[in-house]
Amino acid sequence: MELAEEGVPPVINLTELAEKEKEEFEEKVSELIIEFGAENLMACMQCGACASICPLARTGFEWYNKKLIKAILVGMREELLDDMTPWACVACNRCTEICPRNVTPFEVMLAMRRLMVEDFALPTLTIEGLRSLYEHGHAVYMTGREARKKVGLPEKPPTTDSDEKALQELKTILKNTKLAELGLIPME
Amino acid sequence: MTAEDKPRIGVYICHCGENIAGAVDVEEVRKFAEKLPDVVVARDYLFMCSDPGQEIIKEDIRKGLVNRVVVAACTPRTHEPIFRKACEDAGLNKYYFEMANIRDQCSWAHWHEKEKATEKAKLLVAAAVAKARLLEPLEDRYVELNKDVMVLGGGIAGIFAALDLANAGFKVYLVEKSPSIGGNMAKLDKTFPTNDCSACILTPLMVEVANHPNVELITYAEVESVDGTVGNFKVKVRKKQTYVDWDKCTGCGACLNVCPPKARVPDEYNEGLSTRGAIYIAFPQAVPKKAVIDPDACIRCGGRWFGEEPRKTKDGKPILAPCEKVCPTGACSRDEPRDPNGELIELNVGSIIVATGYRVMDKKHFKEYAPDSPNVITALQMERLISATGPTEGKLIVPSDIPKYLEWKKKIEKGKEAELEARKPHVITFVSCVGSRDERYHTYCSKVCCMYMLKQAMLLKEKYPDLEIYISFIDVRTPGKDFDEYYMRCRKLGIKIIKGKIGGVQRLPDERLLVKGYDAELGRPVELISDIVVLATAMEPNMDLKELARKLGISVGAEGFLKERHTKLYPVDTMTEGIFICGCAQGPKDIPDSVAQAKAAAASAMSLLAPGKMKVEPLISEVDQEKCIGCGICENLCPYGAITLVEVNGSRKSKINETLCKGCGVCAAACPSKAITLHGFTYEQVLAQIRTIAAKKVVEV
Amino acid sequence: MVSETETVNENEERKLKFGLFLGCNITFNRPDVEQAMRKIFPALGVELDDLAGQSCCPTWGTMPSIDDVGWCAVAARNLCLGEEKGIDLMTACNTCYASLNEARHKMLKNPEIMNSVNEILAKIGRKYEGKAKCRHVTWVLYKDIGLEKLRESIKYTLDGLTIAVQPGCHFLWPSEVYPDREKDPFNPVVLRELCEALGAEAPYYTKLIDCCGIGALRSTDPGKSFALAKDKLECIKEELDADLIVAGCCSCMIQFDDVQDKLRKEGKINFSIPVLHYVQLLAICMGFDPQQVAGICVTPRDEIIKRILEGGKR
Ligand SMILES: Cc1cc2nc3c(=O)[nH]c(=O)nc-3n(C[C@H](O)[C@H](O)[C@H](O)COP(=O)(O)OP(=O)(O)OC[C@H]3O[C@@H](n4cnc5c(N)ncnc54)[C@H](O)[C@@H]3O)c2cc1C
Ligand code: SF4
Ligand code: SF4
Ligand code: SF4
Ligand code: SF4
Repeated sequence: MELAEEGVPPVINLTELAEKEKEEFEEKVSELIIEFGAENLMACMQCGACASICPLARTGFEWYNKKLIKAILVGMREELLDDMTPWACVACNRCTEICPRNVTPFEVMLAMRRLMVEDFALPTLTIEGLRSLYEHGHAVYMTGREARKKVGLPEKPPTTDSDEKALQELKTILKNTKLAELGLIPME
Repeated sequence: MTAEDKPRIGVYICHCGENIAGAVDVEEVRKFAEKLPDVVVARDYLFMCSDPGQEIIKEDIRKGLVNRVVVAACTPRTHEPIFRKACEDAGLNKYYFEMANIRDQCSWAHWHEKEKATEKAKLLVAAAVAKARLLEPLEDRYVELNKDVMVLGGGIAGIFAALDLANAGFKVYLVEKSPSIGGNMAKLDKTFPTNDCSACILTPLMVEVANHPNVELITYAEVESVDGTVGNFKVKVRKKQTYVDWDKCTGCGACLNVCPPKARVPDEYNEGLSTRGAIYIAFPQAVPKKAVIDPDACIRCGGRWFGEEPRKTKDGKPILAPCEKVCPTGACSRDEPRDPNGELIELNVGSIIVATGYRVMDKKHFKEYAPDSPNVITALQMERLISATGPTEGKLIVPSDIPKYLEWKKKIEKGKEAELEARKPHVITFVSCVGSRDERYHTYCSKVCCMYMLKQAMLLKEKYPDLEIYISFIDVRTPGKDFDEYYMRCRKLGIKIIKGKIGGVQRLPDERLLVKGYDAELGRPVELISDIVVLATAMEPNMDLKELARKLGISVGAEGFLKERHTKLYPVDTMTEGIFICGCAQGPKDIPDSVAQAKAAAASAMSLLAPGKMKVEPLISEVDQEKCIGCGICENLCPYGAITLVEVNGSRKSKINETLCKGCGVCAAACPSKAITLHGFTYEQVLAQIRTIAAKKVVEV
Repeated sequence: MVSETETVNENEERKLKFGLFLGCNITFNRPDVEQAMRKIFPALGVELDDLAGQSCCPTWGTMPSIDDVGWCAVAARNLCLGEEKGIDLMTACNTCYASLNEARHKMLKNPEIMNSVNEILAKIGRKYEGKAKCRHVTWVLYKDIGLEKLRESIKYTLDGLTIAVQPGCHFLWPSEVYPDREKDPFNPVVLRELCEALGAEAPYYTKLIDCCGIGALRSTDPGKSFALAKDKLECIKEELDADLIVAGCCSCMIQFDDVQDKLRKEGKINFSIPVLHYVQLLAICMGFDPQQVAGICVTPRDEIIKRILEGGKR
């Protein structure tokens, strides 16, 4: 019953979504999102307060907080997994501060990322960041040290960058987290 | 015991549809009951409480087959009165009746354990039979009722309750906390759904109730304590000190503007949009129209307080405070001392109606809406801003310019020429559900704000068609007669609806406001610049409501409003007999609903008091003074103060006041010499029940 | 149970000491901010500990996007480095501030997370008790050191300068998780007062609390990120015509510094307002070498620094 030939169909078929949720998946998207940390998801009343101040909504991303929540509640899945909005969330938490139902919309964004990660639906930059965190202890890492020299600081900062034991500690930690289970990055 | 009196017990077991029969094997219980001592017949039926069900019992009584009745069914709380009445109708003393609850405490609780449920049902029936064998006939008692009523709170609800009672011939004490009656409705401009002027419909009622021969109006007063029970409440009421002699004060208003600037404080009537002096009259149409002095605001001009000698000028003239000086009747003369505690009076009434209303939340809680801006106001402030009795006489200007307006008015009044430079708003935005439907404040919907936002928008748009008006709604709640039509009228007027909650308001340098919203109709965030932002802040319980409820012995719900006995069937009753509630003290509602409840509360009080006496169950405690050793343990324990120790032939004996005793049985349980009997629950009866259950068979006591 | 606001430094009299938490951006992109802190704090009588072996906080796009326990475990290791020495951490980066404190909040609120984290930490011989937290430099300067002391410690004042402040989102929300809280997070005053203490004016402006647009937004869609920043920059230009933008957060500082350059090159704006982190501004006022404490930027700072050094000697 596709009314549009290409791209996203204009009608969201709720019956189909509901049936799919039952037949194809062990858990509903909403249940997964709750498991992944958005405990109060179901309390959302779709008031839109969070969207009114969300930098994502204001700059024209498709699935910002309020809309993402609704899409999760009706069981949309593929379309959401294809969309990168959650990875643009700046974690500003202004939505959390004003949500009248304690939904913590930011946690929904984060939970969506966690769901996407299981599907390997994550930006390359994120994988790079994780790799860098594992290898250097810094998500943002640069080999060039001109800047540090320029301002009169030692080239090596007092971080995992200059402390092999500390880096090993961090690696041990990371190896004992879900990151290792997921196998997103090589962890020797 | 004659053969005639020997117990012949009938046991009647109810299936309660599937409710009992679904878990308990009724036939097995019946067979078991048949064999219990003194049981002459045991029957079962689908619904024992139905007409044919009751008829089975009545028939057995009429035929002389049984003279004690045990019904094993649901809860005595709702059904005991029904079966007692059936016994009485068939000619049996209704206290020859006992009930076993095999539903709530058995079938429901053990729904998945059929066998155990059946065993437990048997035991409960056996215990009831054991008690039934020892039942005694009792006679109902009557207590005299005081027919006077106290109505607490003089808002629209309290006024209507008082008027209905007074018109029916009941004496009413209308006790109001503030100096005038009228409540929140007195602050409204016009009222939905008909848009009639609030003052025009309210003021005549205020006058009528104040002048009614059956009403004694007691304003500026609060309840201090409440004793007694239904029919005989003793209420201590504190009349606060007015510092103005109300017998002399004519309400002329000469004193209203004489206080120096330092003694001016935010005006309650104008919701803080203007100020009032320390001496003030609540509002122009106040009833009674009398001045009071607010002792916290008064700066004691001339350095003298009531009862102190005045200071003298050089030429020996006494220095009087400005208020004293201008008063033509000497009502606020400071010659006499005045008790800051006011006066304590005692009222004796048979019933109490609580109509103490609500308050609106202050904007200061809502930091995301720039509460520091003078142009962010509450909806109640908006009512004042557009009201002809408001700070600007109903002229619409931005609130940040009210001080300019007041300056201008002062000059004009002094006959000076002056130009008014206040800014008129072009855009007004309403924000819904502020503090309502919000986990951080109140989870309930305040019910009337959707309608009053539409009302204010409509009034503004009709008067100033060029105004741009936006109302944000999470969803529009306008159920009921004429209400959705009202909403459509607004849409047709061109008032713009934003379907979504405003998430932020930010101040602009020129005191206008940047409003950030989301419109679900457009599916996009929206933004606009507004001159005024109106917050529909939640209606919430008054600060002192919990304390008042405690004094009255009634309860408040989790949200803080007074709790009704039963949401559907007893909506204006409380768990304390004789105390009724109405209006917004019970929960947020509009004027039509407040009035309807007020009339319901008045009618309930009338039907309670009209007979002049009230039947009370004889299930109360009695002292056998022969056995009483006068230890006094019971006296201290009685929660109702029903017990006193009296002199009988030279020794101390306990005595129970029948009208105060509630039959709780604390005294009977505590009495070391078993001198107290709680009728309907005697030692023997209760012990027979316990022992039966413990021994799993009916035992003799 | 330890509360968010409780402090580790039980002894008030004790000399102030914090673990200097650097994070990634300051370490590699803007080490002048690090240098500024290393200069001002000892001069203000605050001892700094290097927190040797510290790592990324972790930032949002890493462990927080995987799960709570992993996020908290990395954060807890960093917090342990302070806790083991009986000191709190201190940062000049809002992301570090938020990630560390949100993680701490989760651990304090949810014993299950705390236990799982400590099971992992046990493998490296550490344990987090929930005591150490991360303080924000802005708050340390405002609350622990105080405006009076700042006023006394500066060589140059900012008289006549108008500053647009940028406290940054993670300084404000969610207020529940932070050890120090503005009275009104929607009308923050702490950074404004800090700037005023140096003699400048730091007025309110309409978009003061709006997001700068850096972080995930910028890495996902730079165009949208710049549009957001432009919106705010224009408000700053129009409402305040500010001489200077002062951020409490290193990331916000980078964003406004970078973006202006890009927008100017694209012809989208025609102004240039220098941007500094507050600790850099303070360091300059205290007389430290601008090359060291504020030497790295895209939007030129020379003129404003010259103006401060020439104009404001007291
Ligand atoms: C902004 C706004 C606009 C509204 N507009 C409309 C409208 O257009 N149409 C409509 O139908 N409804 C409207 N309402 C609702 C309306 O105000 C209420 O339904 C109505 O006022 C309730 O009356 P009440 O008597 O129950 O309470 P109140 O009006 O609150 O009266 C209670 C009275 O009890 C007194 N009191 C309080 N505590 C004590 C105490 N301890 N002892 C003695 N006295 C006490 C108070 O001083 C007060 O006089 C509006 C409400 C708001 C907030
Ligand atoms: S998450 Fe909260 S603010 Fe956002 S739509 Fe739902 S209830 Fe409203
Ligand atoms: S935390 Fe994310 S979802 Fe929430 S307002 Fe900020 S950017 Fe939007
Ligand atoms: S003494 Fe009279 S005039 Fe002076 S402040 Fe008090 S009430 Fe007002
Ligand atoms: S009546 Fe309307 S505005 Fe008021 S709380 Fe309910 S939904 Fe919100």
